[in-house]
Amino acid sequence: MSIVTIAPSHAKVGAPPKQIVSRDCGPDGCEIDWLASPRHEADLDIANFTAFAMEKGWGDGLPLVPPTETRVRTFLSLNNRYPDEVIALLPPMRAECTVEKIVISAVMAGAPPESLPLLIAAVEAVAEPDFELYGMNATTASVAPALFINGPIRDRLGIPYKHGCFGGAASAAAAIGRALRLIMRNVAGQVVGVTSQSTFGSPARVTGLVVGEWEERSPWAPLAERRAGIKGDAVTTFGGMGTMNILDTTSQRAAEFLEMIGKSAAYAGTNGFSPAVPFCEVLIAINPICAQIIGREMPNIEDVQEVLWKNASLPADWFEHLHRGQLEDQGRIRSDGRVYLTPEPKDVVVMVCGGTGGLHAAVVHSFGTSLTQTRAIL
Amino acid sequence: MAHGFVLDPTTARADDITSPGPDAGPLAGKVIGIRVDQMWRAWDWISEIWADEFRKAGAADVKFWRSCGRSGEEGERMDRELKAFLASIDIAVVGLANCGSCTGWTVHDALAAAATGLPTTAIATANFEEFSKTIAKRGGRSGLRVHVLPYPLNERFREEVDPVGREHFQKLIVTMGAEIDAQNRAAA
Repeated sequence: MSIVTIAPSHAKVGAPPKQIVSRDCGPDGCEIDWLASPRHEADLDIANFTAFAMEKGWGDGLPLVPPTETRVRTFLSLNNRYPDEVIALLPPMRAECTVEKIVISAVMAGAPPESLPLLIAAVEAVAEPDFELYGMNATTASVAPALFINGPIRDRLGIPYKHGCFGGAASAAAAIGRALRLIMRNVAGQVVGVTSQSTFGSPARVTGLVVGEWEERSPWAPLAERRAGIKGDAVTTFGGMGTMNILDTTSQRAAEFLEMIGKSAAYAGTNGFSPAVPFCEVLIAINPICAQIIGREMPNIEDVQEVLWKNASLPADWFEHLHRGQLEDQGRIRSDGRVYLTPEPKDVVVMVCGGTGGLHAAVVHSFGTSLTQTRAIL
Repeated sequence: MAHGFVLDPTTARADDITSPGPDAGPLAGKVIGIRVDQMWRAWDWISEIWADEFRKAGAADVKFWRSCGRSGEEGERMDRELKAFLASIDIAVVGLANCGSCTGWTVHDALAAAATGLPTTAIATANFEEFSKTIAKRGGRSGLRVHVLPYPLNERFREEVDPVGREHFQKLIVTMGAEIDAQNRAAA
């Protein structure tokens, strides 16, 4: 075996065509009952409905908005979408995730109707085989899909990209992230202790992680443009294991900041160093103050990735002997005697966000072979 | 507060194959395929022991296939290799379900084997037995044969694991619906 480089697969899986609803009446549905989901009679008081939903296995423990027909129809008609469109087949059940099912979860989560295009793009992205949702939804790891947003939609939806953007800023981000989590539970069938073996889980498994890029303060092109050539509204999905903070009150120059961030990202127990994981990416969020300093010296993002990549490595003899032996057997110790967190510099995903207080960077480590996906939000 | 009707957020897969699929039958002259991975050394050790036992039981050959990265170009290579592997064997033994994602992929590959009509048995450790069966059911084949090894397993030393492999071979034969004729039974 040897180092496996990351390249996207060639096959793209589109949703199967299906139409069960007449288009004659437009997305408002006229008088026709074109919502296909079974109905359940329930007490519509939020507390009572939440208890009902928990009993049904639909809930995550937080209060849920009852997905009444009126709410679901309104959500759909505001978006001019038909309910029966199949967006993806989601593992492990490979069940059909229709627009209707996305909207029901979005209503329950309290997500705004304007978030539907983002949610649809996110579902399409995580359903790509390269995202490896099959393993992600079953794993013992704490992983959950994180969503990183570019374009004007950040402001239309109020997705945070400044202070507290990874959590704590009052916004619709948590409700949108939660909607995707409810889709994973209720459509994909990812249920903790049943089809998900996550040993510890993470808060992102309840509310997701939905963050904008502060692209106006980035010295580099927006993340989605760099990754997929998409200018404007886009979502980048990343299989994130949680957030790691890096404090640097000392560095002054680009190389110093990047050395500190890269070395901090390289801890022996992260999935990327595991012999069980043949390859992975890593996401690094740089605050706008540091980004400005780094960008002055390194206007090319590839140079930034290169420095981060070199530093996000460990000497092979630093690993415990059984681990080192397995890594050696797999050919992952390079000629310089080091093991690298990602196969190549391009696998270090860099974005700019966070408050103007600076000082901190954030790292989101990858689950492993889940490959980052970027989609336009249409 | 008023009562009303809410829409069901869940989906359900209606199709399910409850049959365990064909028995492995007589092993003599058969090609046994064992799916291994890059995670569990204990499964490598046990599969080596079982391969020897299969050969003693008259198997014509024992082939191994190692599952690695399942996304990107590497994932496409894995898909091609798996397809070729399944086409080259008569009986599939697929492991090891010993964590979350690896159970998912073990069952995924076992379902792929069973879908070709091969007698197929998935191998799980005890902690992941129910999980394997749940994933198999959600994959549309609740009848998938699952042979269960003790847990924890990979944390044990080889001198502890090897006896587990030997002890479980006869139980595996039963789960597989395999038969060993008298002559080969004596050898095995």
